[in-house]
Amino acid sequence: MSTAAAKKETIPLDAPLVLGNPSFSDLSETIGGITEKKAPVQWFLLVGFFASLALLFAGSVGYLFWEGVGIWGLNVPVAWGWAIVNFVWWVGIGHAGTLISAILFLFRQRWRTAINRFAEAMTIFAVICALLFPMIHVGRVWVVYWTLPFPNQMMMWPNFRSPLLWDVFAVSTYFTVSLLFWYVGMIPDLATLRDRATTKVRKVMLGIFSLGWRGSNKQWKHYERAYLILAALATPLVLSVHSVVSFDFAVSQLPGWHTTIFPPYFVAGAIFSGFAMVMTLAIVARKIYKLENIITINHLDVMNKIMLATSLMVGYAYSCEFFVAWYSGNEFEQFAFINRATGPYAWAYWIMITCNVFIPQFLWSQRIRRSIPFMFVITIFINIGMWFERFVIVVSSLANDFLPSSWAYYTPSMWDVMTYIGTFGVFFTLFLLFLRFLPMVAISEVKGVLPAANPHYRGPVSSGGQS
Amino acid sequence: MSSIVEDKDKALSTVKQKRYWRSLDNLAETPEFKKIVEREFPEGASTLNDPVSRRKFMGIMGASMALAGLASCRRPVQKIVPYVVPPENLVPGMPQYYATSMPHGLSSYGLLVESHEGRPTKIEGNTLHPSTLGSTSAQMQATTLALYDPDRIGAVTLDGAAKTWDDFVKFWRGEFATYKAAGGAGIAILTESHNSPTMAKLAKRWKSKFPKAPWVAYESISDENIYAGIALATGKEYLPSYNYDKADVVLALDSDFLQRDSESITAARGFADGRRVKSVKDSMNRLYVVESMFTLTGGMADHRLRVASSEISAFALALAAELKRQGLTVAGLKAQGPSFSGDKKKWLAALAKDLIKARGKSLVVTGRRQPSHVHALTLAINSALGNIGKTVEYHAAPDAIFPRRDDLSNLVSKMNAGEISTLIIVGGNPVYDAPADTKFADALKKVSNVIRLGHSDDETANVSNWVLPQAHFLESWGDTRSVNGTLAITQPLIDPLYKGRSAIEVVSLVLGGRETPGYELVRGTLRDVIGKINFETGWERTLHDGLLAKSASQPVAVKMKSGALNNYPAGSVSITDSNLEIVFYDGNLHDGRLANVGWLQELPDPVTKLTWDNAALMSPATAHRLGVSNSDVVTLQVDGKSLEAPVWVMPGQADNSIALALGYGRRMAGSVGTAVGVDAGALRTSGTFSFAAGVTVSSTGKTYPLSSSQDHGSMEDRPLIREATLEEYRAAPTFAPDMVETPELESLWSDIKYDTGYQWGMTIDLNVCTGCNACTIACQSENNVPIVGKEQVAKGREMHWLRMDRYFIGDEDDPQMAQQPMACQQCEMAPCEQVCPVAATNHDKEGLNVMVYNRCIGTRYCSNNCPYKVRRFNFFNYTKDTSEVAKMGMNPDVTVRSRGVMEKCTYCTQRISRAKLTAKKDDRQVADGEIVSACQQACPTKAIVFGNINDPNSEVSRIKERNLDYEILAEINTRPRTSYQARLRNPNPELPSKAVEG
Repeated sequence: MSTAAAKKETIPLDAPLVLGNPSFSDLSETIGGITEKKAPVQWFLLVGFFASLALLFAGSVGYLFWEGVGIWGLNVPVAWGWAIVNFVWWVGIGHAGTLISAILFLFRQRWRTAINRFAEAMTIFAVICALLFPMIHVGRVWVVYWTLPFPNQMMMWPNFRSPLLWDVFAVSTYFTVSLLFWYVGMIPDLATLRDRATTKVRKVMLGIFSLGWRGSNKQWKHYERAYLILAALATPLVLSVHSVVSFDFAVSQLPGWHTTIFPPYFVAGAIFSGFAMVMTLAIVARKIYKLENIITINHLDVMNKIMLATSLMVGYAYSCEFFVAWYSGNEFEQFAFINRATGPYAWAYWIMITCNVFIPQFLWSQRIRRSIPFMFVITIFINIGMWFERFVIVVSSLANDFLPSSWAYYTPSMWDVMTYIGTFGVFFTLFLLFLRFLPMVAISEVKGVLPAANPHYRGPVSSGGQS
Repeated sequence: MSSIVEDKDKALSTVKQKRYWRSLDNLAETPEFKKIVEREFPEGASTLNDPVSRRKFMGIMGASMALAGLASCRRPVQKIVPYVVPPENLVPGMPQYYATSMPHGLSSYGLLVESHEGRPTKIEGNTLHPSTLGSTSAQMQATTLALYDPDRIGAVTLDGAAKTWDDFVKFWRGEFATYKAAGGAGIAILTESHNSPTMAKLAKRWKSKFPKAPWVAYESISDENIYAGIALATGKEYLPSYNYDKADVVLALDSDFLQRDSESITAARGFADGRRVKSVKDSMNRLYVVESMFTLTGGMADHRLRVASSEISAFALALAAELKRQGLTVAGLKAQGPSFSGDKKKWLAALAKDLIKARGKSLVVTGRRQPSHVHALTLAINSALGNIGKTVEYHAAPDAIFPRRDDLSNLVSKMNAGEISTLIIVGGNPVYDAPADTKFADALKKVSNVIRLGHSDDETANVSNWVLPQAHFLESWGDTRSVNGTLAITQPLIDPLYKGRSAIEVVSLVLGGRETPGYELVRGTLRDVIGKINFETGWERTLHDGLLAKSASQPVAVKMKSGALNNYPAGSVSITDSNLEIVFYDGNLHDGRLANVGWLQELPDPVTKLTWDNAALMSPATAHRLGVSNSDVVTLQVDGKSLEAPVWVMPGQADNSIALALGYGRRMAGSVGTAVGVDAGALRTSGTFSFAAGVTVSSTGKTYPLSSSQDHGSMEDRPLIREATLEEYRAAPTFAPDMVETPELESLWSDIKYDTGYQWGMTIDLNVCTGCNACTIACQSENNVPIVGKEQVAKGREMHWLRMDRYFIGDEDDPQMAQQPMACQQCEMAPCEQVCPVAATNHDKEGLNVMVYNRCIGTRYCSNNCPYKVRRFNFFNYTKDTSEVAKMGMNPDVTVRSRGVMEKCTYCTQRISRAKLTAKKDDRQVADGEIVSACQQACPTKAIVFGNINDPNSEVSRIKERNLDYEILAEINTRPRTSYQARLRNPNPELPSKAVEG
């Protein structure tokens, strides 16, 4: 574990991506074994807990459907509250997966192999949580499908000028491509699991989902081509989905929303929060499942650097907004931002600034970047800070807009809170099921970055594993 | 019969089941809710009943009443002549309009009532009537809801046991014989004040039949002091009639003549006519207001002076002295006023100079709160200024039954002495609103037989023996005289829903033991007035017009009686930090009779913006000194009485003066109004009836949540209400549009020209808008706008399509106030339309921003993107539990919205459609002024004008051409169809003008 790199305080460019020099079968055993062995008691406890939270979500939503959105703390002018905040937050979290998979893949960042599966799964589940909110937050949920363009007897199309409609397209496209990308990437691993399967059920199920993968050269060739194409398709989506989400705000005329900086600002924020959430989950999972050799401290260090970079980006965006407000000479705009920092929601604003701008500055220190407890705490702060960023944008802009007569303070109800907590239940239940039943690390890809995968590799196999 | 009982039981069991609104809040555990639970605040304890659930209860009660209600929704059997459309033209679906009049104290309000298939749905003003001039107040509008109140009593009862009218008649015949033989000894009648020839005739008969029996008229809120003052000055009670349109300088002493006075509509109209500025050539009147609490009149003032109500008497005296100093003798005045110094002295001098300069064209008006001697002095000042006969006239009121508090006190003494064995209470609610020191309820226990005619099972009915249901004025025949003597008819629009009888029917029954229909009584009276010849034609004409033409009386020439002012108190009461005063005022609920009308409970007070409560209003300085702030509960003590009330800090309130609205804190008002607010009557004795000094205030440490509809009173220097002085306007005539630089704006979409056909638009003249809220309730009535309850208002979910934005300008302690009606601006480039994902809100070719409720899925994005925040969302199904009875009062031409959809002002699209259809049938264009929106119709000052902006000759187009015209937020390219005319003030150049912000 104690590598030379850590002592030297710098990471050599050729530092091994997987530590402990496992063999191919060690890897299959480590990762595949998790899905085959009996789950630990902790897993059952956790699933029990989070599934209860998911039930809380179901209950809250059931009551919401029964009574109407009045059970939330919404009012006029703050007609969007936690539901939309949560939506944007979850979508942002859902960013890291595809970014790690697709963009880092295209940039040949081989260290991504340790975390990409994990991050993609997180993306899928986060986007599921995100998608729930726009669907349940409408007043008449039974006709929410009218937002989809489909031929109907009313001869009515949705309004293509509405950013909410673009959202429907952007998020559903992102979800579809992410799901596809995740699944395609998983096929070789599913086949590995299939080959290791001992029970009939596993054989059949994994047989079906591995789509007849044999690992032949030709299949690998097609597979890698397909993966590359999907990565290329997914890459613009990483940028587009949050840009489009930001249009919900940027396209409106509300001071504090109506600003052209939003698309890049939202994307940077999304990457920021996505990485933070990947880190939070990865730190826990690598500990529990003893994957320290695969998700190494070097990986975490690199991710920390990305978080630091994106923190600076969002920090820049925050200050840029103020500059533009001042520079525009628009009194409503100016008020909106001064009010953000000093008005009734100043507390939320300063939580945001502290969590997103100040605290990540610790990551300049390599010691902190490589300290698990420190970075874990920082990622939690970032998760909180990014939620508050969305809260500040959505609520503080709405609460104090053009006409002071309609200004009002927004207070969430217990149903807002329960629905939000409930989505954690949904998210972690899905995530725990993923950890239990699917390979959480891309076995085939990690094998590809093992020293043993190098045709010129002649090194000793120290722990007696076979290749 | 059993089925009715079963249905009722079923309905009541549903009440128990359907408690989820309550449980919602229980579960929600909002801090507000916790606060309510923890509070030990008996007066407001039932605020626990979330008004929403209260509405629900009302709904369920209504369902059981529906049996009674639906059976009665047939056309009236007696003959009524429609105002506009004769009966043979009755087309189902087309409303009919009937003229009637609403009696209110000594006033009469001529109305035109819209009726759909025999159900009155909407109140409008009768343009022929001198007291309404075609407009209405919020309270008049709300009377339809009072008519369909499911809490009205539906049967005669005797000590709680069900009886019938026949039983009562039989019972009374026995009593009648006894009392008649005794010359009326042992019997008394207590009524409200009336100005009705029929009632006056009955009162005369009462005197001859029962010479020993007193007839007492009592009103909790009335102009009694004014009549007494006029009597003091002239020797006789006359009704004053003011011609504000002829006054160039108006001084209001503690008078809210634009909002709460008996003749507020004519006052507002006249005042607006003298104030309306169309171009730089126009002049406008000047208003000085001296008052203790901030009123709408004070908000319109060019100069406002905060003076405690207790000090007004001395102020009036000082004014008289100042007038004398400047060479104008006020006859008969001996007492010397206090001498002021500093700003107040300067203020007084400038005011006196202005009044003298405008001699014969000035007007001093004093509010009903002030004692009679101030009114006598006011008359003397007006007389000295040569205003009598010009800006103020006096009319004899031969048919008036004047309210007299003293008579009530005498009656109570007689009751306590056991001299009264039968008391007949016709209307009113004395157990609730009689002065606290009379202990009326206790005295009532000494009367063996209390007969009560009333609308609901209220405080008085609860302690009466015979309880008789009273017919609403929309259900009964009657006649009224307005201030100038014009005789108007009250005709029923519907058969009594609850088997009620009118006051005249019951008094007539009491006087003869015989039942005479109101119809006959009124015709009998009219026959005397019109004469037997041509009676039928005259009668028909009167019914058609709603009033008897040329029945107004000539003003009387009044003369100051010598010595009238001899006893004017020279000593003055000083309101200081150690001598606080309390002022009782007339709020939205009037004297409490309107407490069960949800519209008025939810209507924000035009100044405080409070809903569903009254509060002890005090100035910021006083609150600071007492160490209290909004929602803190204090104990008020005066004259041995005490009351706990929440505090509301009101800028503009006179320091050390506390104002408290009457009409709240009803103990038994019904499902809506019971235990809403605190009962100011608990503090109000004969001695402290209007206001009183010597109040002590102590903090209780408790708090009580108050729901206000507007939390922020500053305009934040934004050019929303644009204001200038008349001088500034003359110097810069286009100051209003110039206040914001609007560059050439382009649209992303190809522009629609909107230059063919009708293009609807609206203008609102802020210079004459007083902020009286009549438009808000007219809109609510016309468009079936639901009420949502106190908790929902606290959450910011009130539904008013047209709200009144009130802003304070300047100093926190002594600000100016400005009001701005705000409804959908019908933007041509509507931000709401562009963001709706399902295209549920769209533009039609006439420029209306239309809402398709059926298509709306409720994303609320439109509301977020509306810069005016005029869109209203149905967070819950607010209309689901409307009672069957109340449904009868809904406008059938307007969709009732359900849960989850957005709604907003439509420019009364149903009225536009009807006018267009009518025009199309006649093969013509809709004429200018043919379409009148509900808000425009109600507006007492005619500040709102609606019409076709594509017609350059329409009134609305011509107003939009004025240089005062501006659009709010035009700089963000919304292109609103509603524009505003800037507000002007006309300060006296000799007085320092307060900073006027833009």
